[in-house]
Amino acid sequence: MKIFRLSLFNLKRNKREAAAIVFLTLVTAFLMATFAVSITQISSAFDRCFEETGSADLILLFDDDKYRDIYRDILEEEYNVTDVREGRVLVGIGASIISKKGESAANNIIFADESTERKIENFKKLNALPDDEIKKLSHPIWLPQYFEITGGYAPGDTFTLVSGGRDYPFTIAGFYSTGFFNSSRHMLKCVITDDDMVLLSAVYEEYRMIAFDMEKEFSYEEYYEKCAARSNESVSSIVIFFDKDSERWSETSFLNMFLYMSVFLSVVTLIATLFLILHKISKDMEEQMVQIGVLEALGYTSRELSRSYICEYVLTGGIGAVIGGITAAAFSPVMDMLTRGMINRDVHTDVDVFRILIVVISIIALVASFALSRAARVKKLPPVVAFRKGIKSHHFGKNILPLEKMRHSINIRLACKGIFTDLHSNIGTGICIIAAGVAIMFSVYTFDFFKSGYNGLLGVMGMEIPDISMIMMSGVNGENFCDEIRKFPEVEKVLLIQTTILNNVEIKGSNQSSNVISYSDFSLTDNIHPKTGRFPEYDNEIMISAKREETENRHVGDSIILKGDVCEKNYIITGIVSAMSNDSMSVYMTEDGYRRIRPNDRPNTVEITLKNEEDRPAFMDKLTALYGASAKDTAYAQSAQGSLEERIRAKADEKMAVLISQYGVTDIDYAIRIGDTIISGNSSRFVIKDISSVKDLAKSQMESIAAVTKTFSFWAVIFIAVVVAVILGIIAASAVKRQRRELGIMKSMGYTSRDLMIQLTLRILPVTIISSCIAAVLAVRVQRAFWMAAFGVQIPESLPLMIGTAAALVLYCLSVTYVSAGSIRKISVTELMTE
Amino acid sequence: MIPILRTEKLCKSFSNGATQQHVIKNLDLEIMEGDFTVIMGASGSGKSTLLYALSGMDKPTLGKVFFGDTEIQDYTNDQLAVFRRKNCGFVFQSIYLLENQSVLDNVLTGAFAVQKNSPELIKRVKELLAKVGLDEEMQKKYPNQLSGGEAQRVGIVRAVINEPKILFADEPTGSLNSASGGDVLDIFTGVHENGQSIVVVTHDIKTALRGTRVIYLRDGKVVGEHRMVKYGGDDLKERREKLTVFLDEMGW
Repeated sequence: MKIFRLSLFNLKRNKREAAAIVFLTLVTAFLMATFAVSITQISSAFDRCFEETGSADLILLFDDDKYRDIYRDILEEEYNVTDVREGRVLVGIGASIISKKGESAANNIIFADESTERKIENFKKLNALPDDEIKKLSHPIWLPQYFEITGGYAPGDTFTLVSGGRDYPFTIAGFYSTGFFNSSRHMLKCVITDDDMVLLSAVYEEYRMIAFDMEKEFSYEEYYEKCAARSNESVSSIVIFFDKDSERWSETSFLNMFLYMSVFLSVVTLIATLFLILHKISKDMEEQMVQIGVLEALGYTSRELSRSYICEYVLTGGIGAVIGGITAAAFSPVMDMLTRGMINRDVHTDVDVFRILIVVISIIALVASFALSRAARVKKLPPVVAFRKGIKSHHFGKNILPLEKMRHSINIRLACKGIFTDLHSNIGTGICIIAAGVAIMFSVYTFDFFKSGYNGLLGVMGMEIPDISMIMMSGVNGENFCDEIRKFPEVEKVLLIQTTILNNVEIKGSNQSSNVISYSDFSLTDNIHPKTGRFPEYDNEIMISAKREETENRHVGDSIILKGDVCEKNYIITGIVSAMSNDSMSVYMTEDGYRRIRPNDRPNTVEITLKNEEDRPAFMDKLTALYGASAKDTAYAQSAQGSLEERIRAKADEKMAVLISQYGVTDIDYAIRIGDTIISGNSSRFVIKDISSVKDLAKSQMESIAAVTKTFSFWAVIFIAVVVAVILGIIAASAVKRQRRELGIMKSMGYTSRDLMIQLTLRILPVTIISSCIAAVLAVRVQRAFWMAAFGVQIPESLPLMIGTAAALVLYCLSVTYVSAGSIRKISVTELMTE
Repeated sequence: MIPILRTEKLCKSFSNGATQQHVIKNLDLEIMEGDFTVIMGASGSGKSTLLYALSGMDKPTLGKVFFGDTEIQDYTNDQLAVFRRKNCGFVFQSIYLLENQSVLDNVLTGAFAVQKNSPELIKRVKELLAKVGLDEEMQKKYPNQLSGGEAQRVGIVRAVINEPKILFADEPTGSLNSASGGDVLDIFTGVHENGQSIVVVTHDIKTALRGTRVIYLRDGKVVGEHRMVKYGGDDLKERREKLTVFLDEMGW
C-alpha cells in the first residue's frame, strides 16, 4: 500500500508526463491490437467469400478460337482433377462504361450468362430488385459487389457500357458475391442474360473459362508444357491464369500495406513511450535523490522504492494499454467498414479478445521491464550515497567547452555545454527522432508520390500511357495507318506496338511468365525509363523489370532464354526498368527481337498521345467516324435509316463487319446491281478492331487506392508529428522543471526568457540534425524495400524533398522544444530567491 | 549627490487566497549614486521585497520606480532582464552559483550576458578572481568544491564583472561564518571605494557598519535613516556606537 501511495504521489507531481505516457501507450495498444485482429481477419474474409460462393481456386481463361478440348483433358487425366467447370465468357479489356457520376470510365470486364456463372460459382445474390421487377427488365445485369461498394451503384440503376461511340444500357438487377473478378485492378465479372451474351459477343472477345480446384500446388509452366506437347501448339500466348493466392494478395495488398504502416507507427510510439519512461525515471531519481536517501534512512528498502517507480509506470502504461485495447475492440466495426471498402467484400470481424489481451499484456510487460531496468538503480543508492549525490556534485573531470575559448554567441556556447551534461537523454531523444523521422519521411515521400492522384503510379507503370489505344483489324498496314494518324493536328505522338492481353512468354528457369512490351524504337517512349543500363536496340537484346532483377537475380549483361511458339531464343539483358504493370514482371524488346520468338505476330495496336488530353472524347469519335467505328459495333448496328442506297450500304457494312469480326475475313469487296445502278464498296474503312482509353482504365484501377494512400500518408505525418510534439514537449518541460534553479540564476544575471529558451532549444539542435539526416537515409531505404517488396518498383526519390523534409523535421523539433520551453517565462527570480 | 534610483508611492502586495498582504506601502525613496546604502529592519518588514522592486527583479503592485530618469515599473520581464544585465549586479545570501560550471565559467556566464569575448575581458576576470583570493587552480574548480566564503567571493566577482551602475546584495554574509563574512565585507568596501553604488539588505550589524547610509524599514515604510561617512576602519568603535543607538531608537 505504501508503495502504491509513493507511486500516486509521483503521478500527482508529474501529471503531464503521466498523461503523455497514457496517451502514447493508448495509441500503441490501439494500433497494435487493430493490426493483430485485422491482419488475419482480412485474409479470412477473403477466403470465406471464396467458400461461400463456391468459387474454384484456379481459373484458366483461354482464347476461345484457340482453345482445344485436350487442355481440359490434361487436367482430368494428368492432374486427376475431377471437378473441372467450363463455360464461355466474353472479355472486354478496358471496356468503357459510364460511371455513376456520369463520367467515362474503363474496366476489364468479363461477361458470363447465368448458367455459366452457376457452373463456375453458386451465383450468391446479394442486394437485388424483387424478382417480379427483374422479370420485367429487358437487359438486366448482375454486378459484382465492387460496383455497389466502390462504384456507388444501386439495384435498378442503369449500367451503361460504351463501345465505338454506342451505348449499351443495362438495368442493374442486383449484386452478387464472387470469388474471383471483383477487383478493378484485375477484372470484374458481370452476369447477363443469354440474349445479351449473344448481343455483346459481337462487341467483346470470346474466351473459354476453365475453373478447378487442386490439392497440391499447380505449376502452370508444367501444365503449359504438357498442353504444348499434346497439342503441338504453344499455349502461353492464348491463356490467362488466375489463382486464389495471387487474387488474395492483389486485393488485400494495399489494405495490408496500411496495416503494416500502422504497426510501424505503433512501433514508433512504443519506442517513444519506452524512451520517455527511461528518461523520466532517470530524471525523477536524480531529482528525488535526497528523498530516496531520506526514505531509505526511514527504513524503506531499495526494492520497495524501485517498485514504487515500476508501479507508477505499470499504472500509467496499463491504463493506456487497456483503453487502447478496448478502443481497438470498439473500432472493429469501423475496421470492417474500411476493409469492406478496400476489398469490396462483406466483412464481419469477430473481435479476437485473446489477441487484444496478448497485445495489452505485452505492452504492460514491456513497460514494466523497461521501468524495472532503470528503477533497479535505486539498489545502488544506499542512504549516504543518495544524500551525497543529492547535493548536486555533477561536474566533469575536465571542463568541456570552457567559456573563455568561446568565439560566438554565449547562448550557443552554453547550449553546447548543456548537450554534454545530458548526453544520455540526448541519445534517447535522437533514437526517438530517428524512429519518428523515418515514419514521417516515409509518409511524406509516399504523400508526395500520390500528391497528384494516380499520376505517380502511372509514372512507374513501366509502360506507355497513351490517351487512346487502338487495336487494328488484321491485315491493316500499321505503319501506313500510323502515318495517317500523325497528320491529325490534335495528335502529338503515335507509336505502334504489339499488344494483346495474351502476349505472355515463358522464361527458362523462371516460374514467372512475362508480358512482352515491344517497340521498334524505345527512345520514342516517354514512360519507360531504364533505371540501370539502356534500352534494347538489337534483336538479341532485352530489358527486364526491377522485380525480376531482384527475385531472379538477373543483371545487366546476363543472358536470358525466352521460349517462343516453336523455339527458344537467347537474349542479353541491356537494362532494368522499374515497372509496376503486369505484376511487375514485364520484359522489353525490339519488334525484331519479339519476332524471333513469335515470327507470325505483327504490331497490331496504335498508341496515340494527344497534344491536349481534353480532346480525347472528341478525337475518339472522329477516329470512329473515319475508320469505321469498330467492326463489331457495325455488325451489331441496326440498319440505318435513309434512301435505298444508304440502307443497302448499311446492310452491306453490317454483313462485312460480321465476316470480319466473327470469321476472321480480312478483305472484302462487294458490288450490288439494282436496275442500272451498281452499288459497290469494300472493307477498307474497317480499320479499328477496338478503341479504348488506357488512361480511363488506369484511373478506374488506381484512382481510389491513390486517394486512400494519400490521405493515409497525410494523417500518418500528422499523427507522428503529434507524437514527436508530445515527446519533445515533455523532455523540454522536464528540463525546465529540473533546471529551474539554474534558469532562475541566469535570469537574475540578466538573461531573458528568450535567451534561455533558445539555449534549451539549441541543446537538441545537433542531435536533431544528426537524427534527421539518419532518418532521411533510413526512410529512403525503407521506402525502397517497401515498394520493391510490395509492388516490385522503385519510386523516384527526390533529393530536394529529402533535404526539405529533413530540414522541416529539424525546424519542427526545434519549434516544439522552443514552445515547450516557454514555461521558462513562468520562472520568477524573486520566488527563487525567497525559497 | 544625484539619485540613481528613486521610488514614488511604491506599493507591493502579495495575495494569499482571499487575504492580501501589503508589504511595501506608498514608499518614496531615493538611492544616491556612489552611496553604500544598507536596508535594515525586522523580519517581514519588506527589506528583500524592496530590494527586488528596486532592482527590477520584481514588479511593484503600484507606484513608480525610476532608474535615473527612466521608469522601469512597466517593463516586461524580458525588458527587466535586459535592464538588469546592463545596470545591476546581484549578490545573494544563497550565493546561487551554477553548479555545473567552473568558477571561471560562472563569472564568464555573467560577463558574456553583456560583453563580448575578448582576451582583455578574460584577463580582467582572472585578475578580479585572483584579487579576491581565487587563484588559477581555484578558478578551475566547481561550486561544490568551494567553501561558503569562496563561493560568495565568486558571486561578488560575477556581480561586479560587468561594472554595473548599482550593486545589490541580499544578506551577502548570511550563510557565511564570521571570518568568511569579514572577507566578503572587505571586498564590498573595496568595491565601494572605487565609486560603486551599493544597496545591501542585512540583519547583520557588521555589514551595516560598512555602509554610508542605513535605512530602517518597518511595516513597509521607511521609519528612520542614519548617515555615516565612508568606512575607513579607524573610527569603528564610534561608528558602531552611533549605529547601535540609531538601531535601538528604531526598536531593532
